This record gives sequence, C-alpha cells and structure tokens, in this order.
Amino acid sequence: MEEFEPKIVAFLCNWCAYAGADLAGVSRLQYPPNIRTVRVMCSGRVDPLFVLQAFKQGCDGVLVAG
Amino acid sequence: MLDLAGIGEQRLHLAWVSSAEAQRFVEVVTQTTDSVKALGKFDSKAFAFELAAAELTLAQETLRWMVGKEVKITAKGDVFGRRWDGDRFESILDVLLEREYQKNLILQAVKEGHTSVRDIHKKIGIDLKRISYLLADMENRNIVEFVGMEERKPIFAAL
Repeated sequence: MEEFEPKIVAFLCNWCAYAGADLAGVSRLQYPPNIRTVRVMCSGRVDPLFVLQAFKQGCDGVLVAG
Repeated sequence: MLDLAGIGEQRLHLAWVSSAEAQRFVEVVTQTTDSVKALGKFDSKAFAFELAAAELTLAQETLRWMVGKEVKITAKGDVFGRRWDGDRFESILDVLLEREYQKNLILQAVKEGHTSVRDIHKKIGIDLKRISYLLADMENRNIVEFVGMEERKPIFAAL
C-alpha cells in the first residue's frame, strides 16, 4: 500500500525564503519533494484568500515562508 | 479561520527563513511535510460548503478593514483617541470572525435551498436562536429577505 504523500503549496518570499531554497539546491541539500513553490516578491503579498484557494484546489497543506 | 471551518490551523505553517539559511529551509520543509502527512489527506470536496463560506468571510470588507486598522488602533488610537490593547483587539477580531463566518454559512445554506430556520439548523448545526439572531442582522443589511410563511415556518431568500 502506497504511503500518503501530501501536496504542500509553499509561498516563498523572493529575497529570503526562495533564495534560501535556491542555496539549499546549490549546496545539494536534500529536502522532501512534496512542496510546490510559488514565488512572491514579499510574504506580505500572501492574502488569506490564496491559502483558501490552495485548499479548494486540493492541496493538503500550505507553507508561507518569508 | 481554518479552525472555524473544521480544516484545522495545523495545515497552515508560517516560517521565517533568510536567504543564507539553507539548512533551516530544509528543516522547515521537512517539519511541514511530516506534520501535514500525519494529518492525512485533505478532502476538498467534503469541505466545499465550509470553504465557500470561509472564502466569502475573508473576502468581505468588514474583516479586511479591521485587520487593516489594527496597527493604527493599537499604536496611535481610534477616532476617539483611545489606544487599544493588542490582545483585546485580537479577541474582538476572533469574535467578529466567528460571527461573519456563521452569517456566511447561513447565506450558503439559504442559497442551497435550506430556507427555513429549522432547515438551516439541520444543515449547519448552529443553534436555532443564534440563527434567528443572525438572520435578523442579515435582513437589516439586505443580505437576505423574509419571503413569507410556509406551514408556520418563516422562509428566507438570498438577495
């Protein structure tokens, strides 16, 4: 029986979290592939409605990183 | 909001990761993934009703205004010059959120054909007195209208 793999939408701020993720990639650090990234210019851009929309579209979790 | 809708606040994670903290990013993602995995699959169809009401609640002006004014009211003061304590403001926001969410649940129920107070109660579970109270508020704001009586039950329609 296949284990449940959650779909997580991650809103990443361009200057901080996205750059951090980029650095993790360059340094060849492994992290779970369950996250689908959405780059925003500032985490303050993330409206609560985005989070609800993500759940409506069927994701299992949301991460907002700034 | 997620807690009120029954989805649960544990499905939403917030973290600060700076551009130099690659390892921390890995930790945050791993933590989030593990936590959401433990909660299991989210069934968006099962929560379609609640999600629709939640969306209406967060989109409407009332809450957005309150959140927008929070900084000013807790730092400088309201129009009467009173500075509000942050915690007190937050607790009022919670009360307002629950109230607006309940009103939108009622509106959704009426739109879906549950047009009497008892039918609404059967659909959404909030107690009858509260539903009547909120319907009166919604009538005043022209969100619903009283259509007539059917077998001694008041019937409402969305406007």
